[in-house]
Amino acid sequence: MNVIPTLEGGLSIEPENDADWMVLAAISTDIGRPSHLAESLAGLMGDDSEWEELVVPDLEQNFNVQCRYVQEAVESAREQSLRAIFIKAHNADKWYGALNQARLSLQARYDIHSLDNFEDAPAELRSAHFRDRFYLTLQGVLLEYVMGNS
Amino acid sequence: MPSPTISKKAKSSIHTDVPWSVLVLDDPVNLMSYVTIILKRVFGYSEERATTLMMEIHTSGRAIVWTGAKERAEFYVQQLHGSQLKSTMEKSV
Repeated sequence: MNVIPTLEGGLSIEPENDADWMVLAAISTDIGRPSHLAESLAGLMGDDSEWEELVVPDLEQNFNVQCRYVQEAVESAREQSLRAIFIKAHNADKWYGALNQARLSLQARYDIHSLDNFEDAPAELRSAHFRDRFYLTLQGVLLEYVMGNS
Repeated sequence: MPSPTISKKAKSSIHTDVPWSVLVLDDPVNLMSYVTIILKRVFGYSEERATTLMMEIHTSGRAIVWTGAKERAEFYVQQLHGSQLKSTMEKSV
């Protein structure tokens, strides 16, 4: 897979085979239920019932929008057999947010950052580790070439 | 003989709200450069101030990033949660 900054200030993601498309499709499946993150963050506010009622629904909606946007962008590009997925600068936050949700979800599920030796870990854990590294790399490129100037 | 004057002392009381602090907590997922960008966006901090606070979060596990009125603190925590940063607020002592 190639990830290339565009002249317009965005990114072009160019999957080269089925495995590349699968890992892109995994972003939304790794997120799972975006409301988990909103509830987890709300937990940091203690027993604030108003926070649960007033803030959490907005956060859930925001996180859902990010997830759906990336899911539809990947599915649509694959269905149309496009050679690349273009991330325009004004959509970079949605992509970054979805990738971050996926990484937070993987961390919550597998605690991959405390893993010392992933080579001896079960296949499911190793796979989660490599997806996390891929999402992280994509986030780094987004930050360096697209979001850093905003 | 001067005429007597009646002085009235107005009773006044000043009610001071306890300030609240907004805290950001470290986590193993959010990137350092992302945290700096969000602190600049949410609070309007300079690159230097945002980087200093980000480093404090990273090295100490948490940092107070803003202190002031409760309603404003709630607004900021909401913005930070929207950016997926672990944050909370507490009364300043």
